[in-house]
Amino acid sequence: MSVWNYVVTAQKPTCVSHDCVGNFTSPQELNLIVAKCTRIEIHLLTPQGVQTILDVPLYGRIATLELFRPHGEAQDLLFITIERYKFCVLQWDSESSELVTRAMGDVSDRIGLPTDNDQIGIIDPDCRLIGLHLYDGLFKVIPFDNKGQLKEAFNIRLEELQVLDIKFLYGCTRPTIAVLYQDIKDARHVKTYEVSLKEDFVKGPWSQNNLDYGADLLIPVPQPLCGVLIIGEETIVYCSANAFKAIQIRPCITKAYGRVDIDGSRYLLGDHAGLLHLLVITHEKEKVTGLKIELLGETSIASSISYLDNAVAFVGSSYGDSQLIKLNTQPDAKGSYVEILESYVNLGPIVGLCVLDLERQGQGQVVTCSGAYKDGSLRIVRSGIGINEQASVELQEDEMEETEIEGFLSEVQTLFCHDAVYNQLVQVTSNSVRLVSSTTRELRNKWDAPAGFTVNVATSNASQIGDGTLTEVKHVLLEYEVSCIDMNPIGDNPNYSQLAAVGMWTDITVRIFVLPDLTLITKEQLGGEIIPRSVLLCAFEGISYLLCALGDGHLLNFHATHVFAASDRPAVIYSNNKKLVYSNVNLKEVSHLCPFNSAAFPDSLAIAREGELTIGTINDIQKLHIRTIPVGEHARRICHQKQSRTFAICSVRNHPSAEESEMHFVRLLDDQTFDFLSTYPLDAFEYGCSILSCSFTDDKNAYYCVGTAYVLPKENGPTKGRILVFIVEEGRLQLIAEKETEGAVYSLNAFNGKLLAAINQKIQLYKWMVRDGGTRELQSECGHHGHILALFVQTRGDFIAGGDLMKSISFLIYKHEEGAIEERTRDYNANWISALEILDDDTYLGADSCYNLFTVKKNSEGPTEEERASMEVVGEYHLGEFVNRFRHGSLVMRMPDSETGQIPTLIFGTVNGVIGVMASLPQEQYAFLEKLQTSLRKVIKGVGGLSHEQWRSFTNEKRTAEARNFLDGDLIESFLDLSRSKMEEISKGMDVQVEELCKRVEELIRLH
Amino acid sequence: MWKDIQGRETGRIRSNSFANRFKSRRISSLQLSNRKDFVSPHRGSINSLQVDLTEGRYLLSGASDASAAVFDVQRATDYEASGVIAKHKCLFTVDKQHENGHKFAISSAIWYPIDTGLFITGSSDHYIKVWDTNTAQAVVDFKMPGKVYRTAMSSLAMSHTLIAAGTEDVQVRLCDIASGAFAHTLSGHRDGVMSVEWSTSSEWVLYTGGCDGAIRFWDIRRAGCFRVLDQSVTQLGVRPPILKHMAVSKKVSAAKSSLGGQNRLKTLQSKHTSSQIIKGSSSAKASVEKSRQKRLHPGMLSMLDRATAHYGVVTGLKATNDGMYLLSSGSDSRIRLWDIESGCNTLLNFETGRIQTNKAIQLATSDDPALVFVPCMKTVKALDMWSGRTTLMLRGHYENVNTCCFNSTDQDLYTSGADRQILVWSPGGSMEGEMVQDEVAEDKDNWSD
Repeated sequence: MSVWNYVVTAQKPTCVSHDCVGNFTSPQELNLIVAKCTRIEIHLLTPQGVQTILDVPLYGRIATLELFRPHGEAQDLLFITIERYKFCVLQWDSESSELVTRAMGDVSDRIGLPTDNDQIGIIDPDCRLIGLHLYDGLFKVIPFDNKGQLKEAFNIRLEELQVLDIKFLYGCTRPTIAVLYQDIKDARHVKTYEVSLKEDFVKGPWSQNNLDYGADLLIPVPQPLCGVLIIGEETIVYCSANAFKAIQIRPCITKAYGRVDIDGSRYLLGDHAGLLHLLVITHEKEKVTGLKIELLGETSIASSISYLDNAVAFVGSSYGDSQLIKLNTQPDAKGSYVEILESYVNLGPIVGLCVLDLERQGQGQVVTCSGAYKDGSLRIVRSGIGINEQASVELQEDEMEETEIEGFLSEVQTLFCHDAVYNQLVQVTSNSVRLVSSTTRELRNKWDAPAGFTVNVATSNASQIGDGTLTEVKHVLLEYEVSCIDMNPIGDNPNYSQLAAVGMWTDITVRIFVLPDLTLITKEQLGGEIIPRSVLLCAFEGISYLLCALGDGHLLNFHATHVFAASDRPAVIYSNNKKLVYSNVNLKEVSHLCPFNSAAFPDSLAIAREGELTIGTINDIQKLHIRTIPVGEHARRICHQKQSRTFAICSVRNHPSAEESEMHFVRLLDDQTFDFLSTYPLDAFEYGCSILSCSFTDDKNAYYCVGTAYVLPKENGPTKGRILVFIVEEGRLQLIAEKETEGAVYSLNAFNGKLLAAINQKIQLYKWMVRDGGTRELQSECGHHGHILALFVQTRGDFIAGGDLMKSISFLIYKHEEGAIEERTRDYNANWISALEILDDDTYLGADSCYNLFTVKKNSEGPTEEERASMEVVGEYHLGEFVNRFRHGSLVMRMPDSETGQIPTLIFGTVNGVIGVMASLPQEQYAFLEKLQTSLRKVIKGVGGLSHEQWRSFTNEKRTAEARNFLDGDLIESFLDLSRSKMEEISKGMDVQVEELCKRVEELIRLH
Repeated sequence: MWKDIQGRETGRIRSNSFANRFKSRRISSLQLSNRKDFVSPHRGSINSLQVDLTEGRYLLSGASDASAAVFDVQRATDYEASGVIAKHKCLFTVDKQHENGHKFAISSAIWYPIDTGLFITGSSDHYIKVWDTNTAQAVVDFKMPGKVYRTAMSSLAMSHTLIAAGTEDVQVRLCDIASGAFAHTLSGHRDGVMSVEWSTSSEWVLYTGGCDGAIRFWDIRRAGCFRVLDQSVTQLGVRPPILKHMAVSKKVSAAKSSLGGQNRLKTLQSKHTSSQIIKGSSSAKASVEKSRQKRLHPGMLSMLDRATAHYGVVTGLKATNDGMYLLSSGSDSRIRLWDIESGCNTLLNFETGRIQTNKAIQLATSDDPALVFVPCMKTVKALDMWSGRTTLMLRGHYENVNTCCFNSTDQDLYTSGADRQILVWSPGGSMEGEMVQDEVAEDKDNWSD
C-alpha cells in the first residue's frame, strides 16, 4: 500500500447517541430526529410508521441535540453543538426539503480546560437563552433577543469543579439552572442559579446536598409541577423550592429518559441493563404527593429515549439495535408491557473484527464483534446484491400438489424442461424430446434420438420452437461428449438465437456454432483439466459475452445487465461502464433458478434451494448485507481458523444485577452455522484480551492462542496474565499449554513460527518447545522494554510495529543471529494509539484517540543516523471516528481485469458501528481526486455552515494541521448525487468532462 | 486499567476522559526514575529548565557556570545496565568558552515558543541572548540595565515576539526579537523583578513579581499596570478548600465571583447563509478591563499601588493552563493561589514548609490532578491545588532545588538545583501507588493568615 490514501465509509454510523421529538418539518407534523455521531436523520411520524425524510452528514461529531421553539415561531428549530466547539441552529425549508442554517458560531475559549464529562448544551424552556458547559468552571450563555435572534455570548464562572449535569428549570421568572455536581470528596449535590442579565449568577431558589452517590441525571419537570427529578443509582428524588419526595429503586444506572406527557407527570427511564421503567409523579393539582416507578420490560440498552405518540416510543441505543417500541396497557405472557415494533440494525461498538475470504474470491466477508453487554452479537457483513424474498415455499412432499401431465414421459429421467411459445412445454429425456401442450397437457409432437445416441444435455429457448412441430434441423457429430450447451438469444432479435455455445468434455473447449446449420465458427481452449459446467451466451450493454463456469468455481468470460449464477455461492454478474462486475448475493446454496414473471411477482426470480423454493426480486445496487448472530454476551475478540473451519471469540457475560460479577469465556463457533461448539471458561477476574490462530515451527497443527489478564479489584494495572494455547479436536477446545505472564497480554501475533506477545510495557517473543514427554510449551526467547503500554503489535517479516497507548508508533526489528528484538526508530509524537496496521515495509498507519488517522514512514535511506532513527509523519486526517481495528482485505470481489482490482484496501471498524474502507491509490489518481475534492468543497456546503476543510484537519490537544495524503471518499462520491448543473460547474473548473468524472467516481464506488 | 481500555473500546469512556484518567494515575505515582538519566554538563547550580512547547522533546537548561545545554528527552544517547537505563547526554552546550557565551551565571533559559529553532538565555552579565539552535550561535542580544533574573515569552502570541525580562532594575523590559530593540518598559515595581509570567489566556497580558513583594498585571498595549495583587483582598468562599457538606450552600452564597468576562467568546462570522450571526471579538482585554472598571488607572491610588502579594520577595510565578489562576511563591515561604479574574487571594493554605528566599524559583503545574510542584529546599513537593495538601514528597537532590519543569506529554517531572543535577521523576513502574489521601479531621482549620 502507499501513502496516498482514500478513506470511504462502507457502512454509515449506526450508534444512536441522541434523539428528540418535535414539530420540525411543519407545525402539524411530528418528527423524530436522530443523531448518529456524525449524521442526522430526520423522520416523519405517519400512521404507517416512521418514515425517513432526510439523512445528512454533519462535519463534526454531535455533542448535543435539542429542539426548541423561539417566540413567534410556528415550528421547532434544531440546535446542535459539535465536539470541536461549534454550534448551529437549523431550520427546515419545506420548499426545497433542505436544512437551512439559521445561526452558527464558534464557542471555543482560551480560558478553562475542556470538561472531562459530556459537553452540555441546553435551552431555557422560555427561550430566553442557550446555556453551554464545555470547559470546567465556565458556563457560557448565548441570550436570545425579543425577536428570537441570538445575541453575543458571555461566560459565567461556575465554581463547581466536577459538573455532572445542568438543566434549565421550568416556570421561573428568570432563567434558572439546576447544577448537579460532585465535590472533591466525591459527594454529589444540586444547586440552582438564576442567570442574571448582568452576566452573573444569582443564588437560585433552592439547593439539595448529599444526594445519591450515583446521581448522574437531572430531569426538569415542566409546568405546572416544576422542579427537577434527580436520578440516582438507588434513589430517585423530586426536588423543587417547596417539595422534596424520594423513592428507593432497585440499583441501576439510568442512561436515558423520555418524557411521556406534556405536563411531565410520567417519564420513561432506560437503564444500563436495558430495562425500561415508567416513573410517575403523583400529584394533586399542582402539589406533588409522591413518586412511583414501574418496570415495563426489556429493550436494547438505551442511550436516548423519545416518546413519540400513541404509546409508541423510540429507543436509541449505542450498544444494541435501536428500537421502535409500543407500550401496551396489558402485559404479555412474560409480564412485559413492551412490544418491539421495529429494530434498526446497529453494528456499534465494533470492538473486534476479522476479515475472511472463505471462497477465495478476493472478497472479504467481515465478521464483527458488535454491541455490548447483553446486546452483544456477531455480525456478518458482506457486500453484494440483495434478493428481497417475496415468498417462500418449503418443499415437503406431502404439501406439494403433484400434477400429472399426460404428455410427459415419466418413466425416464427428465434432463430438461422448459416452456415455449404457443402454450407448449418441452421435455427432454435421455432418448427423446417431447412437445406438450400446456393447456390440454397432451403430447403434440415427439422426436426420438437415433439409436446409439443418448441425450446428455439440452437447451432451448422459448421462441425457436414451431407450433406443434419438432423437426431435426441439423445434426453434427462432435469428437467428444458435450458437457453443457446454451442458445440464449443475443443480437438484434431477442427471440431468435443465431448462435449456440457448447462446452466439451475431454479436450476442455468451448465452441460456438451458427444456427441453424451448426457450423463451427470458433473454438476456444480453456486450458487446465476442469470441465466447463455451464455456458451462457449473453449481451451486456450491447456487447456479447460468452460466460463459462468451470467445475472448480472459476468463471471465465469471453469478450463477448444481470446474470445470475447459481452455485453454492450465488453471484450476480452485471456490466457497468462496459466492464463486468461480479457481485455476491445474500443467498446460500442455490441449486437452480430461473426468471419468474407473473402478475403477483413482477420481474422476479424463482430460486430453488435444498428443501425450499423462494421467489424474490433483485436489488438494483450492491450494498452491505448484515446478518446478526446474537451472542447474548459481549464478544470482544474474534479470530478465524481455516484448518478447523471455526471461529474463536473471547467474550464476557455480565450478570445484570451487579457490574462486578463478570464471567469470561473463550468460545468456539462453527464458521458456517455459527453454533457454539465448545467453551473454555477463564478464571475468576481473568479477562480475555487477545486471540490468535497460528502454527509454530516444526508443528503442523493450527492452534488458538489466547492472551489474558487478571484484573483484580483494587489493582490499577494488571500484573499477571496467561497465554493459553488451544487445539481444536473434534470440535472442542483442548488446552495444550499455558504460560504465565507478568501482565496483561494485550496483543498476540504469529511471528516467524513463534509467538509475539505484547505484555504491559514489554514486547515478548516466545518459541514453541517440545519437552521430553512429547508435551509442548511456550518458552520465552527475548523481549523489548520501553513502552508505556504496548497495546497493539503488527508484524511483517522480521519487522515489528508497536502501537503504544500514548507514545505513537515504534518500529522494531528481530535479529535472528542474536535472537534479540531491537528498536530501530519511532514516531516521537505523543499520539494515543487506538489501532495500528502496517501498510508496506516503510509505511505504517495509526488511528489515535482524538479520532485521527495518520501515516508515518520510516526513513531507511536517510543520510544521517538521526534521520534514520525517526519516523516522518506523511499523512494526517481527521476521521471523526474512534477506530478499534484495521484489517487488510476487501469488501468486494476483486477481478484482475478491472483497474480497481489492483488497488490494495483495508477495512476498519469503529465505536459508532462504521465499517470503513481505506484504499491506497496511485499518485496520479490521488492528485486527480484531490483536485476534485477541492472543487467539491466549494460546491457542497456543509450542514450548519460547518467547513469540510476544518472537519478533516488533523487535530489533537496540542495542534491542528490541515489534512494531507488522505482523501475523503464520502465527499468525493457525493459528486454523483449532485445536480447536473453543479456537476458541470465542477467539470468546468477542473476542465474534465462530466462523463469522465462520473466514470472515475463510479470506479471508486466499486471499492466498497 | 484493562477495564478502562475496554470502556474506551466500547465508547463507554470518552477517549479524552480515558487519557486524563490514565495521565492522572501516572502523575500520582511519580518517583525518581530508574530508567532515565540526564548527564549534566553543568558545573554550577542549575537555575532554569524548560521543555520545548512544540514537540515536548527538547529540554533546555541554564546554569550558574554560564552554560546552557539542550537534551533530547525522548531519544537516549546510550544505554547502561544492559539497556535498562537510558542515558541522555546533552546535544550541545553553549558556555563561557563559546565566542558569544555569557560571562556570568545564566539565570533563565527559555525556548522560542513557536519552534525549536531559537532559544533565549538571560544572564547575570546583564545580557539577554537569542540563540540559533541549529548553529549554536547568538543571533541577537539585548543589553539590560542589570542582572537578568527571569525571561519569558508568551506561548499564545501570534502577533508579537516579545521577551519579557525581569532584572535588578525596577523596570520590566520587553525585548522584541523581530527588531532587536526594546519595545516597552513597564514601570511600577519599586525593586528588582524576580519573576515574569505571561497569561495563558491572552497574549497581551503579563504578570510580574518583584522583590518589593508586589505582583503586577500588565496589558502591554496600555501604559501602566492594571492591577496589583493584594494578599489581604480575599474571596472567602469562592473556592472553599474542603467543603463541609451541610454548609455548602450557605458558605457559597456569601460571595460570588464577579466574573464579567464577556468577550471571551470567539464567534465565527457565518458567511454562508442569510442567517443571523453572532458577533464577537476575540480579545480578552475587554473582560479584564471591564471588571476593573474605571477605578484603576495607570496612576493608581497610592494605597492600592503599595499592595503586596507576599511579605518579602516574590520569587516565582506560574499561571495555570486553564488561564484562571496564578500561583506565586515568596520569600515568606508561602505559595499563594490567585484568582486572575478578580485578583483575589484564594487563601488556600499550601503545606510548603520552607522555601528558598534569596533566589528565583521555578514552579510547575499539572492539570489533572491539579498539582503544583514546588521546590522546598532540598525536596520537591507536589501540592494539591484545591486542598493545598502534599500529595508527593520528592526527595533526591543533595542541595537546594531551584526549578521544576513538568513535561505533560510524558508526565515526567524534571528538577534541578544547586547540586548541578537534573533529576527525572517518572510515573512508577506498574502504576501502583495510587494517591493516598490522608484524611485529616474535617474540622481542621485550613485557612491561612
